[in-house]
Amino acid sequence: MTSWISTNTFWTLWLFAHLILAVGLLGALTHQAMAVALPVHQPAGGIVTRFRAVPAAGYATAVCVLWVLTYIVGSYIYTKYRIYIRIPLEAAHYYKTGGFFDFKEHVATIGLVLLPAYWYFWKNAQDPQYDNARKGVTLVLAAMCWFLFIVGHVLNNTRGFGS
Amino acid sequence: MSTTTTNTSRTAPATSSLAASSKFKTFATVFSITGPVVYCVVQFLNWPLVTFWPATDRLVWGYEGARAGEGPNMLWYGWTLTTILVAAALGIIAMMLPERITNRIPLSLIWIFPILAIPYVIYSLMPWWTLAASH
Repeated sequence: MTSWISTNTFWTLWLFAHLILAVGLLGALTHQAMAVALPVHQPAGGIVTRFRAVPAAGYATAVCVLWVLTYIVGSYIYTKYRIYIRIPLEAAHYYKTGGFFDFKEHVATIGLVLLPAYWYFWKNAQDPQYDNARKGVTLVLAAMCWFLFIVGHVLNNTRGFGS
Repeated sequence: MSTTTTNTSRTAPATSSLAASSKFKTFATVFSITGPVVYCVVQFLNWPLVTFWPATDRLVWGYEGARAGEGPNMLWYGWTLTTILVAAALGIIAMMLPERITNRIPLSLIWIFPILAIPYVIYSLMPWWTLAASH
């Protein structure tokens, strides 16, 4: 592969794939979180109401697949981060940035282990006994996803594409 | 013109065998409830299933500390694998319990435990925050 494209381009493409998957995941989880937190009971009006009025249950499998794919691609590029990004960050005394990346990796794993129950609750969304747990786990996953996305974005700005 | 929408969170009853299985429900809930706790314990005790050395692309079983000329080690993959195995084992054990016991597991723990895990995770990263404060 690296005979066709440069090493930098190779890893930039993987970072880009990670970004695209993360954007899809963020969008799906945010729609779903809005739908459970502020369910729509009346005629749809503005864009915010329409944003909340998505068929939330249909997102569950996609969210699980996207979380796992984003996680796998992130795990793959993490090997290069450890050598080519983290060491220079430490040398430049960007300790908070490095610390937040480690925070991100822990949150990503904690989110990963929530997926089986999350999926089950959404696949049984007609059962009211799961309503509170489904709402809670969806909001937690959405908050985690936003945190992961923002930390990844800031880190990329610190030393990402092209570095 | 306005379109009428209703609460969109509900769907028809689950049709896939996995989503309709009470055994899978027990496995999934126990896996997801114990997962964040197991991850914190595994990280605290430093029990990675594997250690990866990115500079040399070397993967070894268990924990392996710093070695001269090999660069940094990576434990996160190992912590994640240990967590998945332990949480899955707990889920499988829970599947063997009678339903009258597993039905009493509070489902709210699924979102409470991950929230409670966050302060520990922040604390576990203290070396980073200490370095940041001193520079």
